[in-house]
Amino acid sequence: MTRTRTALGIAVGATGTLLALGTSPALAADTATVSVLHGVPDTPVDVYANGERLIDDFQPGTLTDPLQLPAGTYDLALFPADAADGSGNPLLSADGVSVPAGANATVVAHLDAGGAPKLTPFVNDTSAVPAGQARVVVRHTAAAPAVDIRAGGQVVAPGLANPDEASLTVPAGTVSADVVLAGTGTVAIGPADLTLAEGTTTIVYAWGSQDAGFDLAVQTISGSHSSPSGVPGGTAGLVDDGGVPMPLVALSLAGLAGAGIAARRLSTSRV
Amino acid sequence: MRRAAAGVVLGLSVAVGAPVAWQVTEEPVAAGASVERALSAPVPPSVPSGEGPAVAPASTLPPVTVRDAAPAATAPAPVPVRLAVPALGIEAPVDPVGVRGDGQMALPDDVDRVGWYRFGPAPGTAGSTVLAGHVDDRDQGLGVLAPLRDAAVGDRIEVIDAAGAATGWRVVSRDVIEKRALPLDQLFGRAGPPRLVLLTCGGPFLPDLGAYRDNVVVVAEPLP
Repeated sequence: MTRTRTALGIAVGATGTLLALGTSPALAADTATVSVLHGVPDTPVDVYANGERLIDDFQPGTLTDPLQLPAGTYDLALFPADAADGSGNPLLSADGVSVPAGANATVVAHLDAGGAPKLTPFVNDTSAVPAGQARVVVRHTAAAPAVDIRAGGQVVAPGLANPDEASLTVPAGTVSADVVLAGTGTVAIGPADLTLAEGTTTIVYAWGSQDAGFDLAVQTISGSHSSPSGVPGGTAGLVDDGGVPMPLVALSLAGLAGAGIAARRLSTSRV
Repeated sequence: MRRAAAGVVLGLSVAVGAPVAWQVTEEPVAAGASVERALSAPVPPSVPSGEGPAVAPASTLPPVTVRDAAPAATAPAPVPVRLAVPALGIEAPVDPVGVRGDGQMALPDDVDRVGWYRFGPAPGTAGSTVLAGHVDDRDQGLGVLAPLRDAAVGDRIEVIDAAGAATGWRVVSRDVIEKRALPLDQLFGRAGPPRLVLLTCGGPFLPDLGAYRDNVVVVAEPLP
């Protein structure tokens, strides 16, 4: 299991904040892949990038499909969805967000552990997993203290705090996952059945608050599959294509022997 | 003396002629387009353009689609359950299989059954549907896919799924490829037009390894 604290913090509402998203060397386009998840309960928003409306009436608990954004810097701002377009004070904003070519990231609007809204960019690991495996990433974006993530009743990611993530590579399949308060058996979210498809990255977000309720959000990124290393298909040699069949070898040898005998007769008859 | 001379000539021609004639008349291992060619197809650009009807003309931002992020059960595609290649007399039940501990594709132990690589595409969906089986087994004898080496371009293949629906296919390529040179990423590709890939073992048997050196590869495309 790997565990990373997202070091890419951004100051909410501050201007001139530089946000650097990690790059994935596998992608060499002039675009970046960016998804946006809304995890602030009860607060529909309009999302603006560089003063242009990117998402209209973005509902809590919903996720954009991956956006191919031209690499560059973006000023992001979230306004309450019921306000006149682009007017008033933004609920959340981050200026100068750097989106480098080839990056794959999810920007999450969510609550911090204390319940204040914030924007957190997560870099998505889309590297290949072995054949038969799936990657599952869990991200704590809820207004809650540290939690343990359990799969099938076993703790797989202990002590996860907002806004940390944990990543595991597991055999593909369906798992029953739940979230408990760290070190306890007190279930905060779930259990929910999660389909971890082979060769995909399934990202599970714990979001919400005590008042609004906690929930899970799921993002799936495909394309991390690997091929099997081979196809082992026989053990007996019954259809061996190794060379000339035995009867043919015998026939050839017989011909050679016949020629030898005839040659000897030829040489003796000459004497 | 003339008879003896004729004997020498005859003996030598048999000695040399038999293997040569065998070599010359032997069916070539490959038929049809190359496996790589049969599997490769122009991949449509997956990156949508930045322009869209929902965006103002001057915009650099792509249109956005939004989905509910709540965990949802996905309905699995129907799995293939039966394979038939009438021209080769192949008729076999199909089992979903995955990978072995060593990373190789798992195959049914029973040589009369064929494995479907369940992590790859289902028949008729984008990419390669891979069906594979043992060509033989020390205890069980010849496998049901042993005739695959004789597949001809144009041979029809039928795959029946668990819902009873049949997909029809036509062989476009057959080859025998050394296992270490197998284009695995193409054979198990998950993008591009639907292809059916049938695999078993073939080529020289290597007794030291208890295995064949090569894989017999048959690629088929959907019947119109």
